[in-house]
Amino acid sequence: MDLLQNPEFGNKLVTLMAAFVLVLQIAMVGQRWLVMNIRLFGAQSFLLALIAAAIAWYNHAPHIYIAAGLTVAVKAVLAPILLERLVDRIDIQHEIAPIINGPLSIVISGALTLVAYIVGGSFYHPEAQGSGLGHNTLAVAISVFLIGFFMMLNRRKALSQVLALLTLENGVFLAAMCLTYGMPLIVELGVFFDVLVAVMVLGILVFQIRESFASMDVSKLRRLRG
Amino acid sequence: MSLPFGVDLFSWTIRITPLAAYFNLVLGILATAVSIYSFGYVREMEGRRNLGVLGFFYNILLLSLTLVFSAANAFFFLVAWEVMALSAWCLVSFEHEKAATRRSGMVFLVMSHAGTGLLLIGFLILAQASGSLDFASFHLLASRLSPAQQGSVFILFFLGFGVKAGVIPIHVWLPQAHPVAPSNISALMSGIVIKSGIYGMALVFFDFFGAAPLWAGMAVLAAGVVSALFGVLYALMEHDLKRLLAYHSIENIGIILIGFGAALLFRALGHPMLAAMALIAGLYHTLNHAIFKCLLFLGAGAVLQSTHTRNMEEMGGLIRRMPVTALCFLTGAVAISGLPPLNGFVSEWLTYQALLAGFGSTQTLTRLVFPIAGALLALTAALAAACFVKAFGISFLALPRSEEAETAHECLPSMRAGMGILAALCALLGFGATWFLPIFDSITAAALGVRPSATLTAVNHLVLTVGTARGGTVSTVGIAALLGLLSGLPALFWLVWGRSGRRVTGPTWDCGLPGLTATNEYTATGFSKAFRMIFSALYRPRREIQAEYEVSPYYPTAIRFESEIEPAFEKHFYDPFQAWLMRAARRMRGVQAGSIHAYLAYIFVALIALMLFGVRR
Repeated sequence: MDLLQNPEFGNKLVTLMAAFVLVLQIAMVGQRWLVMNIRLFGAQSFLLALIAAAIAWYNHAPHIYIAAGLTVAVKAVLAPILLERLVDRIDIQHEIAPIINGPLSIVISGALTLVAYIVGGSFYHPEAQGSGLGHNTLAVAISVFLIGFFMMLNRRKALSQVLALLTLENGVFLAAMCLTYGMPLIVELGVFFDVLVAVMVLGILVFQIRESFASMDVSKLRRLRG
Repeated sequence: MSLPFGVDLFSWTIRITPLAAYFNLVLGILATAVSIYSFGYVREMEGRRNLGVLGFFYNILLLSLTLVFSAANAFFFLVAWEVMALSAWCLVSFEHEKAATRRSGMVFLVMSHAGTGLLLIGFLILAQASGSLDFASFHLLASRLSPAQQGSVFILFFLGFGVKAGVIPIHVWLPQAHPVAPSNISALMSGIVIKSGIYGMALVFFDFFGAAPLWAGMAVLAAGVVSALFGVLYALMEHDLKRLLAYHSIENIGIILIGFGAALLFRALGHPMLAAMALIAGLYHTLNHAIFKCLLFLGAGAVLQSTHTRNMEEMGGLIRRMPVTALCFLTGAVAISGLPPLNGFVSEWLTYQALLAGFGSTQTLTRLVFPIAGALLALTAALAAACFVKAFGISFLALPRSEEAETAHECLPSMRAGMGILAALCALLGFGATWFLPIFDSITAAALGVRPSATLTAVNHLVLTVGTARGGTVSTVGIAALLGLLSGLPALFWLVWGRSGRRVTGPTWDCGLPGLTATNEYTATGFSKAFRMIFSALYRPRREIQAEYEVSPYYPTAIRFESEIEPAFEKHFYDPFQAWLMRAARRMRGVQAGSIHAYLAYIFVALIALMLFGVRR
């Protein structure tokens, strides 16, 4: 019972879960199967919602529960379902063919995490008020963001790029959480709406690209150049 | 006076300084005259063209000019400046169905924006030093910067405003864009739009800078002399009436800049009174040029409307068909040639006097520069007079050279009224110069701390004087009176001796062989031939004569004659630059691979680089 009231413990809990988020992110980089990738993303989003809920609990900020609930609903449930249905419908190869092979990608992800720690360290001022979560969580958030970006670069198919974009957005969400303990609710709602719209628009776009090019390989968009 | 409005950094505050008030006055005079003229001028287009569009952009242009002259901070100024450039572009491209018009408009647009870019950088340097975008905070600021910054600010502003003013060698848009616009728009463009560049220079040189470095004054003076001389030289070779006038705008901008350059030099040398006189010369010439150039363009518009050609070789004899237009055009021509007693004379005289006074300066270099500038200015004025003898003589005198000119008719009353106002002002500002000069006192007091008008006038405002022992003295009123008296003399002679004489009437210049036709007349090309030969090193004229014959070369059936001069600046400056730009652009095209992954990689690399750069700071 005491642990549930101790903010110190809360911070450790959040940092631990953030570490899992990073692990899942790197797992996504290494994972070759598209459906598995989508599920990993769902799990990551769920963890993110748990982090939000923990922050809400330990900092007595009830409006963050709404953000957490929305995260579960939109990112952990709705987006994976939509994406998996898309995968079924357009009947694509289920294996991801990255530009850089798996092992090397993971090494690069590690390097990006290092960069994120260097960058995150500069934001860490222990003496300042309100930065209780420390630089671990922020560094994790930045590395999730960078690795997400790298995944976008590394993948050929539009659908897996959409997925990468969503994980990148998770990184941004985590950064916002740990820096500000939750933005004003209206901002959060806007962000979720954005994500939802992005998934739908990209879904349609992916479908259209496949229709027009008989492939989802965005490298072929090069043909559009004048 | 100032009228605050808007948020802090990006405020829309109006500020009327004496300088701004003066330019607004110039704008007001021109806008009134041109608007009256336009009533008649656009009637011909009614039904054929969308006059609503013309009216819309015309008024937007006037509004943006007012705001350019009244803006109190750099942000507002640049917004108004851009609106002015864009509305002017829309007006220049009004007859957009012609490819040449579109091309000229594009040249104007591109050069104008390049200039705005330079201004933006200049303002940002100043804003960084002052921490504000307000013009008030820039007062004397530039002189407190480091010499390198001072130099770059000066050059940026000089080039940025120079593009709009049409300073050689960044003038090429001007002779292209002014002629293709409708004539009332050309009048505004040459009259006041290019003066916005002069306003900007006056603001920067005499408000933002305290005593500018000596080389800055030299640069402005040199640019002025070059613009004046080359402008008039190219004007001499033009047979397109409106292009000729456009080149004269370049010449007159040069004369204004000579005044400004001399003022900068005097200030750097520590002669505020002489600096004030030179500044007054420049500013007064700004007003005068605005009035007479506007008048000339309106006159050209009236001619263009009734003869449907801009080519002087197809005009002729218009003085009998369009007497009022001819008289107004003549007034403008006399004024622009700097002949007494009209207004152009007064300001050019003041410019000369300033340059001559510079001969008394102590530094060897400036002792040398001032007389050279004065001599070249004198040459310019003489060539300008020659050019307007050609322009008026070929277009208005003698016999009509084409059927269009034969059937030309006088323009509508409102057009005559618009021109009449400006012609009257040409005379008024000439005779009344001494009464007009005191309005410059507040400008020079703000810029240089002196009020010279009292020393510049003498004998109850009847005489204009430099006030120093070696300086000159002139009275336009006296000259006018003398001219009046002298023109009365022939009448007197006739009254005394002429009545008893025998009178013979016959055609002019036919040397006893009747039956002269228009083909016997002196052409514009012929008239300017002497100058083409004298300055052939500059013009590099190309001449081609082809004779077709059937039996013997001595009996040609047709002769084709072609003559053109080399566009020196385009060939030696712009063409290489354009070629370089295209090469660079082609090399840069590799960056645009068209691959999403490449673009993502650019963003990714930039992001990480910025992050690490941010951390290192």
